[in-house]
Amino acid sequence: MSLLGIAWRNIRQRTFTSGLTALSMALGVALVVATLVTGGIVKQAFESGAGLGYNMIVGAKGSPLQLVLNSVYFISKPIENISWATYAKFLPASERPDNKDGIWATSTQTAVPICMGDYYQGHRVIGTNATYFDRLNRGNGEQFEFSAGSNFRDQDLYSAVIGSQVARTLNLRVNNEIAPTHGADDGKVHDPFQIVGILARTDTPIDRGVFVNMEGFYLQDGHAKPIDSTDMTQEPQAAEDTFAGEGLLPFNQREVTAILLETAALPGLPAELTAMGLRNAINEGRDAQAALPIAEIRVLLDLFVTPLELLLLLVTTLVVIVSAIGILVSMVGSSLERSRDVAIMRALGARRSVVLATVLMEAILLAVGGGIIGWLLGHGTVGLIGPWIATNAGVSVGLFSYTTTEILLVPFLIVLAILAALLPAVAAYRTDVSRWLG
Amino acid sequence: MKHTPTITKNKDGSPVVLELQNIKKSFVMPGGDPLLILDIPSFHIDAGELVALEGQSGSGKSTLLNVISGISRPDSGHVLISGLDIVKLAESQRDRLRADRVGLIFQQFNLLPGFTALENVLVAMSFGSAVADKVRAESLLESVGLADRLHHKPAALSIGQQQRVAVARALANRPRILLADEPTASIDPAHQQQVIDLLQTTCQDENVALLVVTHAPEIAKQFPIRYRLENFNRAVAVHPTTNEVR
Repeated sequence: MSLLGIAWRNIRQRTFTSGLTALSMALGVALVVATLVTGGIVKQAFESGAGLGYNMIVGAKGSPLQLVLNSVYFISKPIENISWATYAKFLPASERPDNKDGIWATSTQTAVPICMGDYYQGHRVIGTNATYFDRLNRGNGEQFEFSAGSNFRDQDLYSAVIGSQVARTLNLRVNNEIAPTHGADDGKVHDPFQIVGILARTDTPIDRGVFVNMEGFYLQDGHAKPIDSTDMTQEPQAAEDTFAGEGLLPFNQREVTAILLETAALPGLPAELTAMGLRNAINEGRDAQAALPIAEIRVLLDLFVTPLELLLLLVTTLVVIVSAIGILVSMVGSSLERSRDVAIMRALGARRSVVLATVLMEAILLAVGGGIIGWLLGHGTVGLIGPWIATNAGVSVGLFSYTTTEILLVPFLIVLAILAALLPAVAAYRTDVSRWLG
Repeated sequence: MKHTPTITKNKDGSPVVLELQNIKKSFVMPGGDPLLILDIPSFHIDAGELVALEGQSGSGKSTLLNVISGISRPDSGHVLISGLDIVKLAESQRDRLRADRVGLIFQQFNLLPGFTALENVLVAMSFGSAVADKVRAESLLESVGLADRLHHKPAALSIGQQQRVAVARALANRPRILLADEPTASIDPAHQQQVIDLLQTTCQDENVALLVVTHAPEIAKQFPIRYRLENFNRAVAVHPTTNEVR
């Protein structure tokens, strides 16, 4: 019979206390795993940040992090708006009334404007155009899909597309009408928009968004920028340069909150250098700032998420250590019973090293066994709360998401078990056979 | 210069199974004075011999068995198991020798409560040199009448059945000698005879020397060879007899 077999039978002999000890270890490890997985995967997903179809965000001067949080995650308030003229600098000649390329058009692959400030029953309303869903991606380079209806057309002014969570929580369907409110949920009610499409679940903040046609958005009260005729800093523009179309808000009265930008590689330059050059050019100007979402998120992670994750990890590690002390308490508690068993084994010819190894093996089995249960429990928990994380953190976390750090749990638990069992193991090693069997 | 013991041999030249020479063992009293427990000039048992050692409680019977089995060392003297002086061996070597050549049966049976009858025999095998032999373990348990109790834990066995498991376990590694410490003390009189018969029969079948220590004269009388431990200023002497105590 192997050491493992003897240790296993010793554990079975004390099923209740062994079970409680293993359960305590399982809960500790589950906490560690849940912390590692959610923290690790969220960080990884944030850091990778690729595949959204844009790599730069242009917005009003201010905090670049706030710009990113607001534009990508719909968190926090917009800083300010930037002028349509700034947006137009990224547009090609075909999309400009003057038929000339904007000064940054050659560096631009895609420029998607977003306008924010309205709400619909607790959800952010984002005014944009059809390119948002035609040209951008839901993440990992995957195109947006619609569970019902389709993307709105720019000419349908009062049309809207809603995220899956909005549809589910507010029980909205295609052809329903929604009337955003200005500035806050209790603000002035705007004209209704008709839902033409419901997005398939993306496990990103998109699921929480209400996207309305920007042209309809501009026509709502309070959305047109007032023209200040006394402002001498503004150059007068020709009427044909400001005319956007019949019934549409003139360009010179328009503003955008941010521009989601996919930069293009200039001839002879790598895409990264083009992006850096464009960012510098924008930031040197007075009108706007350019932020790189990945860089800003990394700052956020370094400043807040990583320390918080470390703190959580520390707390959960302490829980595991307490569980390991539980192993020690359990073993010390059964030391009388164990001493007799050890004495019997020694009388049968078991060497001291064998009984020492048996006790250590018992602790390792409890710790690793509890650890395996805890690992499954941790991943099960993460799988269960995955949709919540997806909704709130904007990343998809699945049942089988894992981090490489988890592999370290095995040697960690073994070392912890050995340390916890050292005292009872040495006591077993020193057991006086004649005293217990005499 | 260390004394080298003279080994008692059989007619065929092989050493006797157990030989004690000038064994002395004492314990330190709370006041610091030594208390002599064992003082045995000479004692030996050969293969297949069935021996009873009679003595009152506190006469040093269990201490003697511990010395013979190598669990503890004498203060002086030699304990030879098949010619090998175990007093000279390191503890780990004595452990291995005990596992391989000495079978032990205790008054309280001392079965491992978390193990089945079969596992109790197998675990004893795992401490010896040979590979644990499940077939032999089952065969031993069958020979003591426990074929239908192989997978029962001690708590599910009667007192008599537990003692049978203890006998099977003691014989697991084909020992040269089986030491039984008051094997009938915890058994009701109706079953005591069964245990004695079982021990004698199985040891004869396996050609194993048997040393039973007991405080009960009626048990000792059933053995062809009897000894008695006597107190003499706490010193103990061993007298060989034929069938009665001298």
